[in-house]
Parts: sequence; C-alpha cells; structure tokens
Amino acid sequence: MNEEVNKNLISRETIASFRIIPKISFIILFLLFWLFSLPACVSHLKDAKLFYSQGQKFSRLYQTEKAIASFKRALIEAELETEKHPSAQAFMLKGMAELNLELWEEAEESFLSAFSYGFEKGEEWAREISLLGLASSLDELQLEDPALKIYASVLDKSKLKQVSVFAAQKYTDAMLKRTLLKEGKEKQKLLIATLKTVEKLTTKDLSCGFYHYLQSQVYSHLEDHKKSFEEAVMARELGLPKEDIFRDNDLQIVFCYQSLKEKLPVEEWEEFRSRYMAWVKRWNWRDNETPAWKKEVRNAADN
Amino acid sequence: MKKTTLEKIVEKGLSFLSKIFPLKSYLHFPLLSTAIFWGIRRATEWKKEILFWQVYLDPKRIEVKPPEFVLNFFKNHSSLSQVYEAEIKSNDKETLREAFNRLYPILGLEDPFLSALFYEELESKDFRKIVKEFEEKASRAQKDIEAFEGKSRLLEGLKTVAEEAASLSVELMSKDEVQEVVANTINKWKNEGN
Repeated sequence: MNEEVNKNLISRETIASFRIIPKISFIILFLLFWLFSLPACVSHLKDAKLFYSQGQKFSRLYQTEKAIASFKRALIEAELETEKHPSAQAFMLKGMAELNLELWEEAEESFLSAFSYGFEKGEEWAREISLLGLASSLDELQLEDPALKIYASVLDKSKLKQVSVFAAQKYTDAMLKRTLLKEGKEKQKLLIATLKTVEKLTTKDLSCGFYHYLQSQVYSHLEDHKKSFEEAVMARELGLPKEDIFRDNDLQIVFCYQSLKEKLPVEEWEEFRSRYMAWVKRWNWRDNETPAWKKEVRNAADN
Repeated sequence: MKKTTLEKIVEKGLSFLSKIFPLKSYLHFPLLSTAIFWGIRRATEWKKEILFWQVYLDPKRIEVKPPEFVLNFFKNHSSLSQVYEAEIKSNDKETLREAFNRLYPILGLEDPFLSALFYEELESKDFRKIVKEFEEKASRAQKDIEAFEGKSRLLEGLKTVAEEAASLSVELMSKDEVQEVVANTINKWKNEGN
C-alpha cells in the first residue's frame, strides 16, 4: 500500500516538475527578450544623439545635404525612443532634429512634450517656434507689419540658432523690400536700422557666414561697396548654407569689385586691387570677375 | 559617324524619358542635361539638384537685390546690355527689375535646369521672350514633374543617367558643352524618326 502511495507521489512530483518547465522557460524567454531589447532601447537614444551630433558637425562644415540626412536619421531614432521610452531627453532630441529640418510645428509639439517630462526650457523654446510659425502665416496673408514685428522680437530674444537664422533672413528681406519703396533720408534711416539689427547678430555669433552675407547685402544697399565686399569675403570664408546663396555672394563680390573700380581714386584702387587679386588666387577663380563655378565661356567673355 | 559614350548615355536617357513623358517632350532636354550636368560633378544629392532647382535663389531675395546691382547686371553683360540698351539709357528701373527677377537665376546664378528649359531662347539671345514666358513655362515644368505619379521611376531613370555620366572622365565639361551634346543628340534622335 505504502509502495503504491510512494509510486503515486513520485509520479505526481514528476508531473508537477514537468508543469514547472513551461513557466521557467517562459521566465527565461522573458528575461532573454528583456536582456536583448534593453540594448536596442538604449541604442535608439544613443543613435539619435550620434546622428544629431553628426548633423551638427556637417552643418558647421556647411555640408547641407549630409547634415539633412543625419538630422533625418536622428529624428527616426528619437521618434522610436519617444514611443518606447518617452522622456524629456528623447523629446528634446526629437524637437532639435525637427528644428534643423525646419519642421516647425512638429518641433513645437516635441518641446512641449519635453517640458511635460521635466525639461524646463521646453516651454520657452516651443513659444519661440510658435511665434515664428505665426509670423510666417501673417507674412503669407500679406500682413507684413505684424509679421515684421514678430521676426524682430524673435531675432532679439531667441536662443535657438535655427530660429534666429530663419527670422534674420525674413526680417532682412522684409526691411530691404520696404527700403526699395522709400527715397532719401527715410530710406537711409530704414537701412541703418536694418544694419544695426544685423550687426547685432554678427556680434552675437561672429562665426555665422549667413549673418555676414546679410550684412553685405545691407551695405550694398547703403552703397558702401568696400564694407559690402569685406562682409561678403567673411561670409565666403566662414561658409554659406546653400549653393544659391553661395553663388549670389560670389556675384556680390564681383559687383563690389566692378563698382569700386569705377569709384575709388587710383591709389586706393591699386591697393584694393592687389588685395582682391590675392583672394581671387586663393579661391581659384577663373579670372578676377569669373568665379570657379561659373563655367559659362559665353558669360565670361561677356564680362 | 561613331557615337561617343556620352551621346549613347543621352540616347538611353531619351528613350527612357519618351516612355515616361511621351507628350511632354519639352521636359526631356532640361531633365537630361541637368541629370548629366550634376552627374558629371558627382553631386551626392542629385535628386535635390534636379527637382528642387537648388541654385534658384529664393525669389523674395532676388526681388530685394540693390537697384545698383540690377543695373550693373545688365551693363556688364554684353548681350543683355545690347538688348536692354534703351531701358539702361532711360533708367527704366521697373522694366529692368522685372527682367532681372527672371534672368538673374539663369544668367547670373546659372541654374542648370532653368538654363536648359530656356535653351533655345538663350541660344538666340531672345531674353525678352524668357522674361515674358518665364512664369508660365517654369511653373508648368514644376507642376508637370510634381504631378507625375511615377516619380520614383523617373528618379531611378535619371539616377542611371547621372551615374553613367559620373563614370565618364569629363569633369571639366562645362554646362554649355553638356547642353550642346544633349541638344545635338536630341536633334539627331528626332531626325532618325524617334
């Protein structure tokens, strides 16, 4: 009888141990899954940071296409991170990538989410972007006065470079458009006000080629070709964000050279010319009035 | 006469584009010459160069170029200064500004797509025609390309053309030379009854 009971006991224990196996294997599988997915999660944030810093590096070198590709990849990784492990850091990274891709509305939302997760500056940044979006809309609706006021305010206060650059571009274009409609003292007054604003930007960020380009344009309107030339050279040396702006800046340099040739006294002209030729040599231009990218023999001959 | 490799590439591109845009042959030339031009220069983002006309400065910024710059643009270009001689003499700022807004992207910034789109007018130095037709022709080309449903197929085809052009050792070929080869091949191709 006892033997029979023991037999039953053994068999029950054996059966019970078999029942435990699936539970253990489930736990092991779960642990394995957790273990493997952990680095994947970590890597989304890590990759987002890596691609973002790559984008910044390319931006500094003015390699626009490469920078855009890196920011796009950073955005994808940051998005995955916000879905799996939403955090202030993940949303902040997502917002920064969107900002660099000029996805204003998305960036605003991301910064607000970052704020809700404890990133204090998130709200302020979102407000700046929201203002910029409002100014753009007003501009499109041809409500230029309020748009200009907002651009000026954003320009003055913003700590985000992307926002400042965009606002600077819009502000300068709008102000120059106004000056073209004015004459005499009124025109001069407007141009000086514009110059002061752009100068402030250059002082704030001396290494931004685009601000020097804008300054060169304003000087050109003021017919100060020497200063316009100097700023255009600075812009070229520091780098410009796009090919169109780069070419326009080169043509501005040529224009300054041609204008100074007519206006400067002989001695001063000779001095300027020797400096100018040194730059032309450094840039490998085809001649003193033909930048390297200008392959047109027809135009070169025309010039 | 034996065909050059570049001519063969152009022919292949033409045969591809005539299938994609059979009724919009005016697009063949600008698309092909732009693809080959950027291909030769080994542009990494050639798609952007072709479809977004990267060299075309924001029209709003062209509009605010200084009046003196505008005048200088016409004065220092021998063909332009001849065509617009009367306006330059009478200082007709309005007409010159309007013409500048259209001609600066083509003759100043040398946008390859726009230069090819207005190739015939440029060859015949009919700048006034460019000014007159710019808005209509440029926006029609942009709309036609944007509205084309098989954009990825178009890009793939142009990518092949650009890559084949990139494999040639003709880096020093200017935009004018590229356009000349493409234009001549298109003419031959048409004459052969294609």
